[in-house]
Amino acid sequence: MFTQLGGRLGRNILFAVTILFFGIPIVWLLLAPTKTNNGLSFQNPLSFGNLSQIGTAAGNLFGYNHGIIWTWALNSVWYTVASVVIALATAVPAGYALAKFAFRGRSTVLFVTLLTMIVPSAALILPLYLEMSAVGLTNTPWSVILPLTFYPFGVYMIYLFTTTSIPNSIIEAARLDGCSEFGIMTRVFIPLARPAIVMIAFFAVVGSWNSFFLPFIMLTSQDLATLQTGLQILVSSTGAINGGNLSNIPIRAPEVALAAIISILPILMVFLFAQKYLVAGQTAGAEKG
Amino acid sequence: MTITNSRVRRLRRRTPAWGFIAPYLVLLVLFGVAPAIYGLYQAFIVTSVVGDPSFSLVQNFIDVLSDYRLPGSALNVAVYLVIWLPILLLVVFTLALAMDAKRTRFATLTRFVTYVPGAVTGAAAALLWLFMFSPNVSPIGGFLRLFTTHNGSFLSDNTFALVLSVMGVAAGAGGWIVVVYGALTGISSDVVESAKLDGANAWQTVWHIKLPLIRSYIAFILIVSTAQGFQVFVEPTVIAAGAPGQVSRTWSINQLVYSYATEQSNYGRASALAILLLVVCVALAVFIITKTKFYSTGDR
Repeated sequence: MFTQLGGRLGRNILFAVTILFFGIPIVWLLLAPTKTNNGLSFQNPLSFGNLSQIGTAAGNLFGYNHGIIWTWALNSVWYTVASVVIALATAVPAGYALAKFAFRGRSTVLFVTLLTMIVPSAALILPLYLEMSAVGLTNTPWSVILPLTFYPFGVYMIYLFTTTSIPNSIIEAARLDGCSEFGIMTRVFIPLARPAIVMIAFFAVVGSWNSFFLPFIMLTSQDLATLQTGLQILVSSTGAINGGNLSNIPIRAPEVALAAIISILPILMVFLFAQKYLVAGQTAGAEKG
Repeated sequence: MTITNSRVRRLRRRTPAWGFIAPYLVLLVLFGVAPAIYGLYQAFIVTSVVGDPSFSLVQNFIDVLSDYRLPGSALNVAVYLVIWLPILLLVVFTLALAMDAKRTRFATLTRFVTYVPGAVTGAAAALLWLFMFSPNVSPIGGFLRLFTTHNGSFLSDNTFALVLSVMGVAAGAGGWIVVVYGALTGISSDVVESAKLDGANAWQTVWHIKLPLIRSYIAFILIVSTAQGFQVFVEPTVIAAGAPGQVSRTWSINQLVYSYATEQSNYGRASALAILLLVVCVALAVFIITKTKFYSTGDR
């Protein structure tokens, strides 16, 4: 009884300290658009500025170049959805097969997959550009979408989940029942692996949504830019962060903070939605059947 | 690396595994292997200010290894790795295990909050972290002033590794917590229940049941996060961009790679250094893989 209570108290203190540590930057970011550029430097960092300042910041941000930020947001959505769908359609079967079938080259595929994950991305970006350029796809959405469909992290996560949490006996039972191999994957494996699939789907969304160097290198026209590259261009061209904004464009620290909040909102919404499904899968019941 | 277990071998005979893998393999070759091989080839192309590029097996590697900036960057990264990696792993596993022990709403909220700082990237991250680590405007300014040097500057190369470690943990822990928590929830509750029935307390369950069951995840996290640490790039770049002159723009090895590729347009040297970096990471990965029997298919 006493240790139970101590454990619970200890956990809650741990969580409270954690929330404090990880929460301070978030609170600061949420409060930043309520202040003026000067206020950010001279007011209490965690004070609330003025509600109307958010309106000013929003007006400045959405007014930039006739609201091109909406075009960037739409581009981000389209690139993310397309790449994540293809990434999942290829990574889930691959991770499943790597975990549950023995075949020549299995370890090699796993090792090469791991290798591509730890190759410094600086070494890959120019070759990727040349590749896309050779097939005439640079400065098209596909030059961003296609490289993002390659998802070694997802393959590994599915592989790890399947080896740890999905017993062979379930698959063997389905096979004895005369289920086709494709049917076993879609009707037995995928429902059981749902937490892992939701998790890699979430990380794929984040990876695509936040990808920076790829769209930065591949896309030249402003109408094709993503939220991330567009904002970066905007910020660096106005010097909004270094304090040296000498241009007439009213993009300064509060506007950048607002843009930051807008660009992470979709991710946080997906996280909250996905969180429900991360816990679900229990294979214990399935095994007894 | 040909660990196959007999049961899996039995499964093999009637299984069209390649059909499941083929689409992924196409992407692996096109967007993983092919660019990597081209990058490798580039490491042997020597560009010179005068005359045509020439081919040399060693020249770029010699040039890179004798760059006066490399020892400093390597030391910085080593210090960073020694501080950052243990803290990261400790935070990730402590929190994930605590969240798994009792799945309360408070635990769920904590998981969400730990994830948010990592979701802020690019220009927004630069702004956020610059303000966080500037003593005069930061919400933790009082704490930061404990570390300021006599000339009032906080971001010297000495304290930089510590600052980056804090930032690296804040930005990197949330994702891994989701992964480890996911792995822990994937453990069959039967196993944990029977351990409890046998009289195992919470700590024993963690040490003897839960952690061993997710050891392949642990190996994976070790490999990937060590590589991330060696290749630390975004954090120092972000801060260096916001505080020009205060910290070196080639603080880390990977920043040096980018400096070759962008400022000097010397892609050969960039590739050579990237490959050296990769060799270190792969050596560590192979060490971890052999130590943990990572590729065994398991006995289940």
